Formats: sequence, C-alpha cells, structure tokens
Amino acid sequence: MNAKETLIRNRWRYISFVVGFFLFVAPFALFTRAVYLIVGNTAEPTLHSVCFRMPIDWIFGGRFYSIFGSSWFMAAFVFGVIISSIFLGAAFCGWLCPVGAVSEAISRAVPIPNKFRLRIRDTKLTMSMRYGFLVGFIAVAALVGYKLASDQLGSICCRYCASSVLQNFASALFGDLSAIEYWQSGAIISLLFWLVIGGLFMSGGRGWCLFFCPLGAFSGLAHKLGARLGFYRIEHKPESCNGCNKCQDVCPMWAIKEDHNIERTLCVNCKECVHACDAYKLIRGRKIADS
Amino acid sequence: MKTKYILGFVLVIAITLSLGAYSATLGKSELVHFWVAVPAGNVTAPMVLRGAGPPISMSPIVIDLQSRGVLKNLLQPQLEGLSTHWIYNLGKKPVKVKLNLANVPPDIAVDWEVNSGFEFDAATHTFKTPLYPGGSVPNLGIDWVFHIPAYYMDEPVIYDGGLEVIDADTGAVLTFIPIKFVNGAASSSATQGGSCH
Ligand code: SF4
Ligand code: SF4
Repeated sequence: MNAKETLIRNRWRYISFVVGFFLFVAPFALFTRAVYLIVGNTAEPTLHSVCFRMPIDWIFGGRFYSIFGSSWFMAAFVFGVIISSIFLGAAFCGWLCPVGAVSEAISRAVPIPNKFRLRIRDTKLTMSMRYGFLVGFIAVAALVGYKLASDQLGSICCRYCASSVLQNFASALFGDLSAIEYWQSGAIISLLFWLVIGGLFMSGGRGWCLFFCPLGAFSGLAHKLGARLGFYRIEHKPESCNGCNKCQDVCPMWAIKEDHNIERTLCVNCKECVHACDAYKLIRGRKIADS
Repeated sequence: MKTKYILGFVLVIAITLSLGAYSATLGKSELVHFWVAVPAGNVTAPMVLRGAGPPISMSPIVIDLQSRGVLKNLLQPQLEGLSTHWIYNLGKKPVKVKLNLANVPPDIAVDWEVNSGFEFDAATHTFKTPLYPGGSVPNLGIDWVFHIPAYYMDEPVIYDGGLEVIDADTGAVLTFIPIKFVNGAASSSATQGGSCH
C-alpha cells in the first residue's frame, strides 16, 4: 500500500493525532491549559502534566497523597482514559496519544522492507510480554514505593520516559533548544526503544505501546472488559473471510489472532482492519457479542 | 506450547526489573532527583525532617561522574544535571523561597530550567508566592544543568557546593543541601542522595 493510500485511509485518525498533539504537547497543551485556567493553576502545562504513567506508579507504590494532592488532574486523566476504554475501546491510544502517533508516523514514513521489521504473529505471546512488563512495572513501583528494595531498584516510570523525550523535542522544535541539551542514559534508552527499535524495526511502529506503556496495557484490559459487556468493539465475521491475512499485516498492534478474531487487550481501535477487509465490523452502542 | 508464553512473560518481567536496577544506579549519578524542605539547617547527613506536612527525607548529594551510564559518558560527559519537583515548608510560618547554588566555579555554567505553579523570578531565583506551612510549590520542576569544561573532567572533585534555600525576606539560609560532583569512587566513600521518588 502506498503512502497516499495510507494517508487517505487514515485521514480522520491522523487529523485526530494532530489535534492530540495540540491538546497535550507544549507549547500548546490546550487541554491541560484549559483545565489549569479553570482551576487557577499558573504552571506552564506540558505533556508531563498528564503523565501516562506516574499515577499508576503512585497507586501501586502507595503514594495516594499524590493522587489526591496537587497532581489530582494527572490521576483523573489517566483514570479517565482507562475508564473510557471500557466504552470506546483504547481510543486514546489509537486516536490521540502523541507518543504512539509519533512512533507510528515514523514507522510509516521510513520505508524499511517488512523482512527487517519484527512482527510477532502469535497474539498470546505478544500479550504475555505486554503484561509481563505491566507486572514488572507494578512490582518495581511497589518495591520502591514501600521501600522494600528502594536501594536496589529505581523508578521505571520517570527514568525511561518517551513522553519526556517527545516533549523535549517538541519544545526544541518551537524554539526552546535548551530542552534537548541534557540527556540522561534512561532518556537515550527510551529514545532508542521508542523510535528506533519499537518505531522503525517493529512492524506498525508501536513497539513502545506494546511493551512499555502501562496506560496502554490497562486500557487494553478495560477494552476487553467493555467488549465482554457488549460495548464498542470490532468483530470478525468468519463467513466473509477468505483467509488472506491482510488484516494481520495492517494491524499496527499485532492484535489479529490466527483465526482472525481480535485480541482486545492489544487492539487500539485504529480500524485499519475494518478498512482492509469487509470481514471486520464495528459494533457501536451496547450489543452483547456472539463471539 | 504454553511454555513460550510463560517464558515471554517471565523474560519481560526480568528485563523490567533489570531496568529498575539500572535506574537505581543511574538515579544516583545522572539527573539526581532530590527532595527539599525548610527549615532543615545544614543537611550534613541523611535525615528526615518532620513538621507541618509530610515527612521529607534529605541527604547530602554526592555524584560520582564515573558511575554514570555508558551511553551518557560516551555521548555527553560534560553535562550533568540535578532536579527537584518537591519544595516543602515544614516550618511554622510562611516563607518566600529563594534558591541559590553555592560555590559554583566561575567557569562552570549552570542553566536553571524552572516550571512552577508559583510565579518564579528567574533573575533572583525567588518564588513570588509565599509557601505556607505544610505546603509545597505546586507542579514544580527545576532542572539544573551543569556545563563542565573539559579541563575539569579529570579533577577528583569537580564541584563542592550545595543548594541554599533562603528566606527571601530576611536573607536567612533555612536549608543547605551539600552537593558534590566527584570523579571516581576514590574521591568519595559512597554515592548517595536523591531519587525519583
Ligand atoms: S500505549 Fe501508551 S504510548 Fe501507546 S498510544 Fe497508548 S498511551 Fe500512548
Ligand atoms: S485489530 Fe484492527 S482496530 Fe485493533 S489495532 Fe488491529 S487493525 Fe487496529
């Protein structure tokens, strides 16, 4: 599929990603700015102001005072994203998140042959690795937060942060070059995994999302629950399927199973499969699944 | 068949824990994050300050530049940073907080990158809003980036100063956190102080 087709097919999603950039990334951060204005917070909002990971780290590390303190907005945002995934699928990941958008865009823009890109076709394996990270993330948060191993372990959350790398690049792009002057090793590792390994050399460009983002992992679980309850989801109709596997090739989240059903913990609701094949149908509103 | 899923699961947990362990090492030598509270006096040893608000742990900060990550030492050895997101007033009266990095050699330039819920005067490094007892500076992020000239890089002690937290109205130093940049374990018994949490 050529770039023009990809652009046309994804036009609404790409427009949404641009909107997401303006909503969350400084110097714009319009969403956060509006909330700050309403609550009288004079801080300059950045992508950190809605950190995708810290509230999760706080909960499992026992830092409840952070959730209810001055960072309540960050926590409300993360819970909002997770809860909305029950009803809308992981729409934040597929339609708004600037971190996922940039790595996906880089993967699409750089034409590396597919044979040089990793894709795990076994969704159970991808899932076990994704949730292995989540368990590890939670374990580190708890061991550090409850001071059970705070000398041996340090934060995964802040030390390896793609959001902060993205925000620094965006700030530099809009004139604040000091934002990219200092690099700590964790940021260099994050950049390499987010854009090079996960972006360029993983098919779909969503390696960070698949294996390194606790918010994405929780949103996937919420979507799975929502789909079970009959809320918004994409379903595969086997009677319309000719087994060509095109859906597996286009899915950036490696979420299509061998039988072409969707592994909902991985799906970000991007609708690439729906565009690629008539066998995929959107189920809106509440309708109990037959699958 | 199931073995590969268990292996994948366990492998990624192990990688994540290893990254946590690496983070602990980096956290003591790269962009060290530390907590600040007033009034603590001279922080000569690890301490926990109690008063209005949550107990705050502080300690002298010793950064061994040789303990930094390979990537950092390879790509950007002459820049080192410190950071705080937390300044608390555990005392009994409101304080207008002014910050000062003491004893910085004239040829080491330090950039102050400050984002704060309180208005901050970049010229005098002073928060314009008083910090009330039990309160903290909201949505704070301060990074200090030290530009170390090449000829300092072999010195056993590169920086020996600290952060003064001053009452802007009276000029009194309420808290002093010693900060040292050293080169190699021989210069210091242990790298200590600071974390992201
Ligand atoms: S998985 Fe994380 S980084 Fe990826 S799109 Fe979702 S929130 Fe963003
Ligand atoms: S299963 Fe379909 S909607 Fe879900 S991530 Fe894959 S292509 Fe996108």
